[in-house]
Amino acid sequence: MTLTETRRQAPPAVVARALTKIYGQGDARVHALRGVDVAFATGAFTAIMGPSGSGKSTLMHCLAGLDTATSGTVHVGDVELTGLSDKRLTLLRRERIGFVFQAFNLLPTLTAEQNIRLPLEIAARQADQVLFDRVIETVGLADRLGHRPAELSGGQQQRVAVARALISKPQVIFADEPTGNLDSRSGAEVLSFLRASVRELGQTIVMVTHDPVAAAYADRVVFLRDGELVSDLAAPTPQSVLDTLMRLEG
Amino acid sequence: MLRTTLAGLRAYRLRLLLTSLAITLGVGFIAGTFVLTDTVRAGFSQRVTAEADKVGVAVLPKGERSSLPVRLLERVRAVPGVLDAQGLVRGKAPLLGKDGRAVGDLATTAISIVPGPLDRATIVSGTGPGSDDRTAVLDKNTARTHGFRVGDTITVLDSGRREHRFRLVGLLDPGVDQELAYTGALGFTTATAQRMTGEKGFHEIDVAGADPARLKQAVAAVAGPGVEVLTGEELAADLASRAGVQMEALTVALLMFGLVAMLVAALVIYNTFNILVAQRTRELALLRCIGATRGQVFGSILIESVVVGLVSAVLGLLAGYGLGAVTLRVLTALEAPLPTDAPVTLSAPAIVAGLTIGLLVTVGAALLPARTATHVAPIAALRTQAEQRTFRAGLLRVLSAALFLLAGLGTAAVGALVMPPGQQVSLVVVMGGGVLTFLGVLIIGPVLVKPLSALVGWIPRKLFGVPGRLAVDNAGRNPRRAATTTVALTIGVTLMTLISVVTASTRVTVADKLDEQFPIDYLLVTQERDASIPRSVGESLRGRPELTSVVQIRDTRAGVGGHRVEVGTFSGPISPDVTAGAMGDLGPGQVAIAAPTAQRLGVRAGDTVAVRTKAAGTVSLEVVALFGGESPLPALTVAEPEFDRYFGAVPDSRVLINAADGVPADRARGVVDAAVAGHPTIKVSSSTEVRGQFDETLDMMLLIITGLLGLAILISLLGIANTLSLSVHERTRESALLRALGLTGAQLRRMLSVEALVLGLIGALVGVALGGVFGWAAIRAMLDGAVFSAPLGQIALFVALSGLAGVLAAVLPARRAARASIVESLTTG
Repeated sequence: MTLTETRRQAPPAVVARALTKIYGQGDARVHALRGVDVAFATGAFTAIMGPSGSGKSTLMHCLAGLDTATSGTVHVGDVELTGLSDKRLTLLRRERIGFVFQAFNLLPTLTAEQNIRLPLEIAARQADQVLFDRVIETVGLADRLGHRPAELSGGQQQRVAVARALISKPQVIFADEPTGNLDSRSGAEVLSFLRASVRELGQTIVMVTHDPVAAAYADRVVFLRDGELVSDLAAPTPQSVLDTLMRLEG
Repeated sequence: MLRTTLAGLRAYRLRLLLTSLAITLGVGFIAGTFVLTDTVRAGFSQRVTAEADKVGVAVLPKGERSSLPVRLLERVRAVPGVLDAQGLVRGKAPLLGKDGRAVGDLATTAISIVPGPLDRATIVSGTGPGSDDRTAVLDKNTARTHGFRVGDTITVLDSGRREHRFRLVGLLDPGVDQELAYTGALGFTTATAQRMTGEKGFHEIDVAGADPARLKQAVAAVAGPGVEVLTGEELAADLASRAGVQMEALTVALLMFGLVAMLVAALVIYNTFNILVAQRTRELALLRCIGATRGQVFGSILIESVVVGLVSAVLGLLAGYGLGAVTLRVLTALEAPLPTDAPVTLSAPAIVAGLTIGLLVTVGAALLPARTATHVAPIAALRTQAEQRTFRAGLLRVLSAALFLLAGLGTAAVGALVMPPGQQVSLVVVMGGGVLTFLGVLIIGPVLVKPLSALVGWIPRKLFGVPGRLAVDNAGRNPRRAATTTVALTIGVTLMTLISVVTASTRVTVADKLDEQFPIDYLLVTQERDASIPRSVGESLRGRPELTSVVQIRDTRAGVGGHRVEVGTFSGPISPDVTAGAMGDLGPGQVAIAAPTAQRLGVRAGDTVAVRTKAAGTVSLEVVALFGGESPLPALTVAEPEFDRYFGAVPDSRVLINAADGVPADRARGVVDAAVAGHPTIKVSSSTEVRGQFDETLDMMLLIITGLLGLAILISLLGIANTLSLSVHERTRESALLRALGLTGAQLRRMLSVEALVLGLIGALVGVALGGVFGWAAIRAMLDGAVFSAPLGQIALFVALSGLAGVLAAVLPARRAARASIVESLTTG
């Protein structure tokens, strides 16, 4: 059995059932999510796409335990997020979830290495030195470890952020527009690196993006519109993603 | 532009709130001082006017003269237009307490209470003595402290020390008369007052009649030279201004503390505006992009500070009014000897002073930040992320700081070590050095913050894991900001440490001096300097086995050249600290002089002085020795037989007694008490009592000063809270990131608390170091032979409290940070 096949048979890393999220009250009510059912396979790279206001960021925030859904359930692994206290949610994020944000991923007072090790230190866990070296080598940051974020380029900062997400071997990494602030070349680097970490390290990644090229790096793309899951595309190419988007908007 | 500024103010009003609070507190204190002193002053003048209204003209002795002859009263009464004239008697008449001994350190003052419209006494309960020579009234405070009530019988000594009994018929309010308030007051009929005090003349003659101006001329014509004739109005003004001088001193002292508070507030404002400008870089840049000039940006920040200054000064005036009113209530409840019943008013000068100070401090402190704001380039609007401000210790900064520190410490060292101690100028020099040093610290502050936070943060770093480490890093992250924040606290802690070092050192020094030069167990003195202790008292003690030494000292005043000095003698074993010549046994024609007196007279050992004596004419004495000024010996000390020959029989003025070793204190005391039993005006004080009273006075002073400095500390804590909450705001996204990465809310709160703790400790440590050094210098400059003592417990308490206060200041900002929604913070921050 190949690695890929093993993963296919493993239970999904994240599952959402009938997920709804309503902001505001009365006339100002906004249905950000209207009953989303979705599962994200372990060891896969999944992209969430959709036009602005489609609810893709809200979905990610709910899946990651950063925000609480109005109704429905979210499971990360075997843990149900619904109804967890803030403290339990924090501990769950600490142990099982990694993040890469669009901007402002790093603490300006810490060096790159300190930033990478930060999640482990918060959780008071020992770093796996082999993994650390491998991650550093893969992201190509070996000579930049002592620098502070202000001394790194945007692409380097995002690579540090990805390395930080990988180091604690989370069950899932959520990446929110990780290339949104980067030029296309740096963006391509970060995306290849994300894909490599899925292929080589067996990492599960869920990425929110509005860029068809970025989405094409994923194994699968799910499409949202007006808070509903409207399409699901396997083995995407930039062209097939663009076509799907056109169809959805048209 | 103005509209933009005002909109900005509305948007930032929460952030400016803490800032205004700093100014509000400072202005409140200053306004409160004015309210308090103005009201008391108004109370004084009300009373003075009420009293003086009864008087058409008052006749007072002038110059050397201390009383008016009795026959002057008859002459005044004969002046046409005089409706009534009364002579006021004032003199000493010791009141005996229930234990049979005279009350107070000074004899009670007896006054006459005159009948008719010229009666100026304020009887608060019961009645006046009327014309009954067997009745008396007593001032309410003495009555309360010694447990006398209307209807009781009181015993008073007359000038011949004979006891007289009176029925207490009323209680008196001494009003604005500070002498009466201090010694306690007894009121009698004029005849009784004359009999009791033995006064031959009048202290004042009050005249009733119409047209004070013409009356004044007429009375002055008969009064002749050596007296002063005042109209009632002039008398009131005279009395009020005497009370006013005291109030002025109190006002100035309180305002000093107010100014310290305002200085701290200025630092807080400066810091806040700096942070606000830094946070609004993009907003300001956008304004520049769409065409605002540098001047307009500068103006907008300044207008903001004007509004903040005005609003907080007005609030401060209100707070000051409340503070003044509450203090007056408290003083009334404590029955302080001050008139606190005048209507509480906020006078125009107080309003002007409060507004001006509040406005000037706020705008002044905002000037530099406003200038910084003009340096924001329009292009900054386009940058996505505020650039990290790095701070480098410039050579200029280090050099100028070193210059200030060297000059300051050098000046202080000169004041403390080189200049003569005990003189005001030395202390002024030391304080000047203190100000220079402080400026040096202010300049070098940002450089010190990093190493100090590493030092102070060593334990929290180990103790609190990641939050602790991040907190210590954050504390040193913006050195300029951290330095200004902590310096505000440093001011208060420096002054507190300085005061506590000075009081502790004074205590130790004085105790040492007492032991060394005044090694006595008991001291006998009388209430009045000129009255005296019969020689028999000392002689009866001399043979007692419980006592080892009894030294009797006699003295009187005599003319030497143009001076009146104390000339006296002693019997018994005493060896003063001889600074020049040799004292040995003083022979006929010889004198030993206290060094300060010798300096005043301009004589040295070996010179001769001419002393005008009572019984032997002017004698010429050879100065054989000079002795230290702290000695209990009379300033000019001669041999005993010579003293008798010069001045005749003079009773003892002081008796110094030492108990024998191994005799229990209460037995020795019993012997001494028994010897003075028949002499109610003799006071027995023991060295422990003297020291205890001294300690109490010092403790009280320390407490009051610490309380007043507390305001400055409070304002600096507002500064810490303010800086922290602005930093929290600035780091919203950072906090959210940490929360997303798994930092719990509690850990985030702890992180901010530790940051505040580190800031508080840095401020306190610098303050303790400065306060310790300058406390030492100040005590060296103030006291000759000062012994340095640092109250380590108190100082440790200051440091601990500063740290704790810092943590308290962090409570609200930390709570806000921990409660912020992660998602919102990530997207909007």
